[in-house]
Amino acid sequence: MTAIVDRILDRELKKGSAELVILALVEARPRHGYEISQIIEQRSNGDIKFKVASLYPLLYRLERRGWIAGTWVEKEGQRRRRYYRLTREGRRVLAEQRKGWQRFVAAINRITEAGHA
Amino acid sequence: MRDATYWKTVVANRLRERGLDPTLHASVIEELAQHLDERYRSLSRDTDSALAERLTIEELDDNESLTAARPDRGGLERELIHHERRAGAFRSELGQAPSESLLNGVLQDVRYAGRTLAKNRGFTAVAALTLALGVAVNTTIFSVINAVMLRPLPYAEPDRLVRIWESNPALGWPQFSASHPNFLDWRTHTRSMDSLVAVSSANFAITAPEGAQIVRAVTATADFLPALGITPALGRNFTRDEDRPGGENRVLLLTDGFWRRAFGAAPEIVGTTISLNGNSYTVIGVLPPTFDWGVNTDLLVPLVPDPARPRGDHRLTVFGRLKSGISIDQAHADLSTIAADLATRYPESNDGWGVRTATFYDWLIPQAIRESLLVLQVAVGLVLLIACVNVANLLLARGAARQKELAIRIAIGASRQRIIRQVLIEALVLSAIGSAAGLALAAMVIPLLVAHGPATVPRLDEVSIDSRVMLWSMASAACAALLFGLIPAVQAGREQARDALQDSGRGSTSGAGRQRTRHLLTVAEVALSVTLLIGAGLLLRSFAQLQTVDPGFAVPSLMSARVMLPTRANFAEPAQRVAFWNRLTEEVRALPGIAAVSTTSGAPLAGIGNTSTELEVPGVQPRRGEQPSAGWRIVTPDYFATMGIPLRGRDFSPAAGADAGPYTIISESLARRYWPNGDALGKPIVIRSLGNRAHTIVGIAGDVRSGGLDADAIPTVYLSGIAAPFGNPMFLVWRTMADADTEAAAVREVVRRIDPTVPVFEVTTFDDLLSRSFGPRRFNLYLLGTFAAVALVMSAVGLFGVMAYLVSQRRREMGVRLALGADRGALFRLVIGRGLVLASTGALIGIAGAFWLTRLMTNLLYSVSPTDPLTFAAVTVCVVAVSLLACYVPARRATRVDPLTALRGE
Repeated sequence: MTAIVDRILDRELKKGSAELVILALVEARPRHGYEISQIIEQRSNGDIKFKVASLYPLLYRLERRGWIAGTWVEKEGQRRRRYYRLTREGRRVLAEQRKGWQRFVAAINRITEAGHA
Repeated sequence: MRDATYWKTVVANRLRERGLDPTLHASVIEELAQHLDERYRSLSRDTDSALAERLTIEELDDNESLTAARPDRGGLERELIHHERRAGAFRSELGQAPSESLLNGVLQDVRYAGRTLAKNRGFTAVAALTLALGVAVNTTIFSVINAVMLRPLPYAEPDRLVRIWESNPALGWPQFSASHPNFLDWRTHTRSMDSLVAVSSANFAITAPEGAQIVRAVTATADFLPALGITPALGRNFTRDEDRPGGENRVLLLTDGFWRRAFGAAPEIVGTTISLNGNSYTVIGVLPPTFDWGVNTDLLVPLVPDPARPRGDHRLTVFGRLKSGISIDQAHADLSTIAADLATRYPESNDGWGVRTATFYDWLIPQAIRESLLVLQVAVGLVLLIACVNVANLLLARGAARQKELAIRIAIGASRQRIIRQVLIEALVLSAIGSAAGLALAAMVIPLLVAHGPATVPRLDEVSIDSRVMLWSMASAACAALLFGLIPAVQAGREQARDALQDSGRGSTSGAGRQRTRHLLTVAEVALSVTLLIGAGLLLRSFAQLQTVDPGFAVPSLMSARVMLPTRANFAEPAQRVAFWNRLTEEVRALPGIAAVSTTSGAPLAGIGNTSTELEVPGVQPRRGEQPSAGWRIVTPDYFATMGIPLRGRDFSPAAGADAGPYTIISESLARRYWPNGDALGKPIVIRSLGNRAHTIVGIAGDVRSGGLDADAIPTVYLSGIAAPFGNPMFLVWRTMADADTEAAAVREVVRRIDPTVPVFEVTTFDDLLSRSFGPRRFNLYLLGTFAAVALVMSAVGLFGVMAYLVSQRRREMGVRLALGADRGALFRLVIGRGLVLASTGALIGIAGAFWLTRLMTNLLYSVSPTDPLTFAAVTVCVVAVSLLACYVPARRATRVDPLTALRGE
C-alpha cells in the first residue's frame, strides 16, 4: 500500500468512520478492546490499524455518548476483561451512520467512476 | 518476558507523564495494560522480546491521535475522567482519590479485600479456619471467666458482703465454722456490721405419694434475706420472733424451683402448712427465681442460734453486711477485738481462736478456680497467638505473590500508609470471617463444656455468649488481625517498588527480609506450642500421679446411699435408732449379691460429714493454742471390712453396750503422731466433742484420703454407732457383686419396707465419687491438652508451610547443585537441617517461656514440680519429632527436583 492510500484511510477514519467501524463490530456480540483491534486489522488485511492510544479514547467516547456500554466480565480461568456491547441508542446511530456511509461511498463511486465512462 | 503487571506500570507512568493521576484510573490502566500484554505476547511469537517490547510501547506513542489530530483536543484526558467515573468501583485497587472521604476509601478497601479473598479460596479457608479455632477457644474460655468471675454476684451491693470464719491457725484450721454462742456475741458487739447472719443447711424428710423424699433447706437467721438484698416474690420474710429460741420457728419459704415443681406454682400455698420430718411448718412466702445460695435448695427455714450450745462446737456459716463506708479490714479488726475478748473470758473453748474475713467474691469464687481459669485463658491466648503467627506466615507467603501488585501501587503513587491500610483492612476482613466462624464454633462447644464441667466451678451453668463475650471475641479477633496483618503490612510498606519488581522478575529468590520474618514467626510458633505442651504435660503427669495414689480403701464395687431418720417420736430414743440401723444392715446383707454392708456418718470422697473435734491425749502436754484435734466419724460394725480399710486390734461389736466403755478406733496417722512407738492400743484418748470423755483405743484403722486423692489423710477418731447413735443422716455403704442400679433399687425397697417415711438419697458408687473428685483436674487437663494439641498441629502446619515454600523457592539452586553433582541425600539433609534449626530454636525459647509460665500452675499440680525434667524432655522430643515430620515431605520433594526442569523453569 502506498503512503498516499495510508494517509487517505487514516484521514477518512478520523473524520468519523472509525465510530462506524467500532459500532459495527460490537453489533453482533460484545467484544473486548484487543479483540476489536485484532478484527479490524485482520479484516482490513492490515490496512487499518488501531493503536491503543487511539482505540481506547474512542471506545470511552462512544461509551460516554451512550452508544456502547463496557462491562468487566470474569470468566473461569481467564483474567477479567472489559467487554463492550451496543446499546439501543448505539443501534440507532449505527443504522444512520451505515446509511450515511453507503450514500457517501455510492456518491464517491459515482463521481470517480463517471470520469472513466 | 514482560507480564501484565509490568504493562500496568508502563501505562501508569505514561498517564503521569500526561499530567493524569494514575491512582484515579485503575480501570483504564488495567484495560490498557491487558491490551498491551496481549499485543506483546502475539508480537513475541514472531520477533525477539526486546523488539516486541519496543513495538508494544509504541502502541502508546501515537502522539498524533492521542492529542494533536483529534477533533476534540485533549480528549483522552476527558474521556478517562468520564470513564473512570463510571468504572469507579475499581479505583480502590490503586489508591484513594484525594477528594474521597476516608470512609469511602475504607469501604472500597473492604470490598476489594472481600474480592481478593474470594478469589483465593484455598488461602482464605485455611487462614479463616486457623483464626476460627483461635477465636473459638478464646471465646469459650472467656465465656466461662465471664460467667464465673466477671458477672456481679446476684446480691445487692455484693462488695459490702463479708464472709466470717473462726480461725485457729495453730490447729491448722485457718477458717472454721463458728459456734452458736460466739456468733451471738459477735452479733451483739460488732460496730462495723449492719447485720450479721448465721446460715446452715438441713435435710428434711417429706412424705410424697411415691415414698419418702428428702428436701434440702437453707437454714438462716431472720436477717438473711435483707442482708443479701432479696425480697420474697410472694409472702414475707421471717420476723424477729421466728429465729428466737422458743419463738414461732416452724415457718418456711419455698424456693421458686421447688414451688413450681412440688406445688405447680400455686400462689394459695402461702399460709398453708406442710409436714417436714412429721412436724407441720407454715409456708410464709416464696423466694424469687433469682435467689441463689450456691447449692440446690428447696426451702428456707429459720436458724435459731442457741446461746446454750458449747462454744467449741463450730457449725455455723456466718456472713455480714458492712456498714456503709467501713472497709473489710476495719471489720476484721473489730471482730478480732471481740474474739480476743471472748478468748480471755472463755479460755477453755476460745483460747487460740480468732476470726478470718473474706469478701463474698473471694469466698464464692475460690482462688483455685480463678487460678485455673486464668491459666486456661493464658493458654488460649497462646493458641490465638499461634493462629496469628500461622496466618501471618500464610500472608507473607502469599505476599511474595502480591509483592508485584503492591509494588505497582507504590510505583503509581500510592503512599506507604495507603498500602499498609489496604493490607490491614484485608487482615481485618479475614479476621471478621474467622471470628464469625469462631463464635459459631464456640456456641457449639460451650453447651458441651457446661454439661461436662466439674460441679465445683460456681455459676458454670450460667455460661453463655452475652454482649461482653461477643465484644471480647471481636476485640481479640481484631487484635489478632492487627498482629498478623501488621507484619506483612509493614513488610509491604517497606518494599521498594523497583526492588520488588526486579525481585519478582527473577522469581528465584524471595526477599531476604520476608524470609527472615517467616523464620522468626515459625520459631515463635514452635516456642509457644512447646510452652503450652509443657503446661499440659505437667497436668497430665499430675493426673497420672494422682491415679497411683492409694485412697486407703477399696473403691471398686463399693456403693453408698444416704438414709435419714425423720426426727419423730419413733426415732426419738437412741435404742430405736440403733434398732433401725441394725435391721437395715441385716436386711441389706441378706440381699443377693451383697458381700458386706455397714453405715457411717461420713463416707470418704462424699464431701459431707467431715467434722472435727479437739482431743486430749493423757500424757501429752499441748502447747498453748495447740490443742490436738482430729476428724471424727460414727461407724457401725463391719465398716472397715466393708470399705476394705485395714484394721489392727478389734472392730466395734454389734452387741448393745459392748462398746460403751467407751471405746474408740483411731486412724494410723493419729496413732503415729501421739504414740510413735506403736503402742496406742489400749491407751485412753479424750474426745472433747463427745461428752469430753476418755475413750479407750481398741483398734487402729488405715488412713483414708476422705477429702480426695490430692488431699492428705486427716487423722480421725471413729466411734461406735451402736454406743453413740448420733449420726443422722447416715451413709449406708455396701460392697456388691451385682449391677449397681439393680442393687440401688433393692436397697431403696428394703428401706421402704422397714419404714416408708425414711428417705433414701444420693445413691452412688465410689467409682463415681472418685471420678467426680477428679473432675476439676480432668477438666483442666482436657482443656489444656486440647489447646496444646491444637497448638502443636498449627505449628506443625506452619513449619511445613515454611519449609515447603523454602524448597519451592530454592528449586533452581537445588537443580544447580544436583547438576553439579551434589547427591540427593545432601539436599534432604539440607532441608531437614534447616527445619531442625528452626524447631530446636523454638523449643529452647519455649522451654525458657515454660520455666516462667508454669510457676502460675503450681497450685494445679500434684506431686510434680513445675519444672519437672521428664515433662520438659518429653515435650521437647515430641515437638522436635513432629517438626521433623513436618519437614519430611518438603525434604523429600527437594530430593525429587529434576535438574533439567528446575533449570529450565521460568
